[in-house]
Amino acid sequence: MGKYLKHPLGQSVAILVAAYLLIKFGIVYLPPLVGLASAPVPSSVVLQYMLTVIVGIFVWVSDNEERWSKFKQPMHRVMVDPERKMARGVLLVATPLLVAFVTFDRVRPSVSAPVSFRSIHPAPPGQIDFQGRTMRLTGLENPLRSRGSLDEHYEVGKRIYYQNCLACHGDGLAGLGYYAQGFNPVPLSFQDVGTIAQLTESVVFWRIAKGGPGLPNEGAPWNSAMPAWEDFLSEDDIWAVIVFLYEQTGHSPRTWGDEGEEGGH
Amino acid sequence: MRLIEVINGPTACHLPPLGRSGIASRFGRRHAVGPKPVFGAAVLALFLLGAGAGGLAGQEDLGKVTYDRWCGGCHGVDGDGLGVAAEYMLPRPRDFTLALYQIRTTASGELPTDADIRHIIDVGMPNTTMPGWENLLSEAERDALVEYLKTFSRFFGRGDVPQAIDFGRATKVSEAVLTEGQEQYQAMECFKCHGDFGRGDGASASTLEDDGSFPIRAADLTENWKFNGGGSVEDIFRRLRTGLDGTPMPSYQDVVDAGVITEEQLWSLAHYVRSLAPEDAPGIDEVIRAELIQDAALPTTVDDPAWDAVGVSYIPLVGQIIVSPRWFDPRVDGLWVQAMHDGQELAMRIRWSDPSQSPDPDWAEWKALIIDLMAPKEGDPPEAGPTPDRLVVQFPKEIPTGLERPYFLMGDQRNPVYQWQWRSDQSGAVEAEARGLGTATALPSAEQAVTASAAFADGQWTLMLRRPITTESASDLDFTTGEAIPVAFFAWDGDNGESGTRAAISSWYFVFLEEPTSATVFIAPLAAFAITGSLGLLVVGRARKREQEGVVTEDEPPDEE
Repeated sequence: MGKYLKHPLGQSVAILVAAYLLIKFGIVYLPPLVGLASAPVPSSVVLQYMLTVIVGIFVWVSDNEERWSKFKQPMHRVMVDPERKMARGVLLVATPLLVAFVTFDRVRPSVSAPVSFRSIHPAPPGQIDFQGRTMRLTGLENPLRSRGSLDEHYEVGKRIYYQNCLACHGDGLAGLGYYAQGFNPVPLSFQDVGTIAQLTESVVFWRIAKGGPGLPNEGAPWNSAMPAWEDFLSEDDIWAVIVFLYEQTGHSPRTWGDEGEEGGH
Repeated sequence: MRLIEVINGPTACHLPPLGRSGIASRFGRRHAVGPKPVFGAAVLALFLLGAGAGGLAGQEDLGKVTYDRWCGGCHGVDGDGLGVAAEYMLPRPRDFTLALYQIRTTASGELPTDADIRHIIDVGMPNTTMPGWENLLSEAERDALVEYLKTFSRFFGRGDVPQAIDFGRATKVSEAVLTEGQEQYQAMECFKCHGDFGRGDGASASTLEDDGSFPIRAADLTENWKFNGGGSVEDIFRRLRTGLDGTPMPSYQDVVDAGVITEEQLWSLAHYVRSLAPEDAPGIDEVIRAELIQDAALPTTVDDPAWDAVGVSYIPLVGQIIVSPRWFDPRVDGLWVQAMHDGQELAMRIRWSDPSQSPDPDWAEWKALIIDLMAPKEGDPPEAGPTPDRLVVQFPKEIPTGLERPYFLMGDQRNPVYQWQWRSDQSGAVEAEARGLGTATALPSAEQAVTASAAFADGQWTLMLRRPITTESASDLDFTTGEAIPVAFFAWDGDNGESGTRAAISSWYFVFLEEPTSATVFIAPLAAFAITGSLGLLVVGRARKREQEGVVTEDEPPDEE
């Protein structure tokens, strides 16, 4: 083992293997050390890194004449030595076979669903038609927050949620209801910081009132199983369920003040 | 501060994603903003709520606070199973005041252990509306819930603490064990409720009621991933030993005690029941592959052995709860779909469990009960008179060129869908066009090209549909090969009170008609082999030639030529 590692070819192979393991499996563990979220390295990036490593190895072995000829020597001997006829033959067959197999894997037909892109939070309209009257969304606040008792609104919202939303969005509001796996896209998780916590209550109202059929095309309305709740619920019902969503998850809605500071839209 | 922690507990948990929408989430953050200022009103509200729900909650009140917040919606704040959501569910949520628990490790009629209650809170009950709370609530909250649930019944805390049975270890499974198990399945009369092949279609299945007088289904033993108490052979053995208290499923402990059946034979029965279901629970394939049949004819019957050679996709179905009247109790919860084509015709075979061939008079009472419980909540009353079983296979009317497709729930005004409709009270199938749920109209009879044959046996429908890949008709879809074509499914069990919009539905899936393998698939690897091989020979040949020359002119290294 030690003999091979002293040889430049053995060292190059060792570097290559170590680099692959580090890039493919090691890097994933680095971000959590500083408290960041992690994800697997995409294979195209792995390929790019590995090419860089190979170029680096070549620069290193060819930098010094003696090391270069030592590096080449084993390969050269496999090609010319009469006593390595066997290894030579195997390599001459195995390499083309490997290349042929990789080629086959690339060209054979694969069955996959078409890629679909959809925007989860498409831009809301400035106003909507709600149960026959025009409702301006811009600047709209949840009227229940300044009327009556929030406790009562929560209880009303809870009843509406449990009778209507539970099957898909789930008891935990995490989008894991007992019907969730039947739909694609899967129901939204309100616990996720990327959903209601990013939205004003007026946008949530629009999404509930108009549902899947009311999405603009970029939201792929033809796939969404979200009903248009204006067919089932009154305006106050919807505002109450919105109170419930925020209270139960502990998220706060985005306010129009936030929008203003960023220039709004 | 403690109060806020208690109230906020579950939100801090990291919830597992369900998959399938990975791409969407990466493109979805149109509104991405930086850290928001705290919304004062919400914090104040949270405080008020907390005070309302449980006062200044100490550890001892954790159970009540957690229960009221997360469990009361279904089980009721008084634990009587009469929460606001209860009447949208069947089976109904557990009534804790009765202290009847189905899934236990204790003998029939005994109370469950704390660990039994905690186990169901953790993992939930498959095939019911009870979710697992392991990722939603903290350990302390779940422990506190166990204690709190017991306070709903005066049976707990009296007399002895319930003891878990020692179930021993599973016997090894073999052909002989399965044969023995099958004999016991007959001897113990499991077939009376569960049916000869375990599909929940036994002669008594239509009459089963639980202790609350609600109709209850005999488990479909071919779907072990949906067993309330888990689908492993150990789980099944435990249910056989302890029974499911509160349901018609008895305990077989007394038969063991009476020496009618040995414990080993009970294990064999558990192994047999396990063997009725597939090795693994099915995954969900987005694409149904229609295999190309080149040197044989397409099957003409539903049980043609040729069907055994093609792959099967599982398509889950759920209740239609999108337009009114909604349906919260679909009987058909999944379809096994196969497809093949010969370049001329496409054939599709669909199988699903259904305990009856609707309309079946034996199920009339069941149907009335289900309608009474689940239907009158909204909208038009269900269809009067006999209702058949129905199945619809739906495609877009034209293969979409862009991303846009018709609305999956039977299209809309702008964008219609094309359907194959089958029903158990008529022979054949009908091609139709729909522009929204309940708007389907049949294509003119001259343009009807789909044929159907169906067979019902042992609690299972097998339906085969065939149609030429392209037709003269302009109103239907011309299929193409080598392309993922949207497809969706709808099913009705008439004897379960289903008709109209009261149906089981799926979202869009895809069917992919295989193309003849193009010559490129074979030529490209051969060419790659030849090129790489010749290059190798060339390099070796040159190296050897230079080496020989090098031997002749030994003083001059070849490198310096």
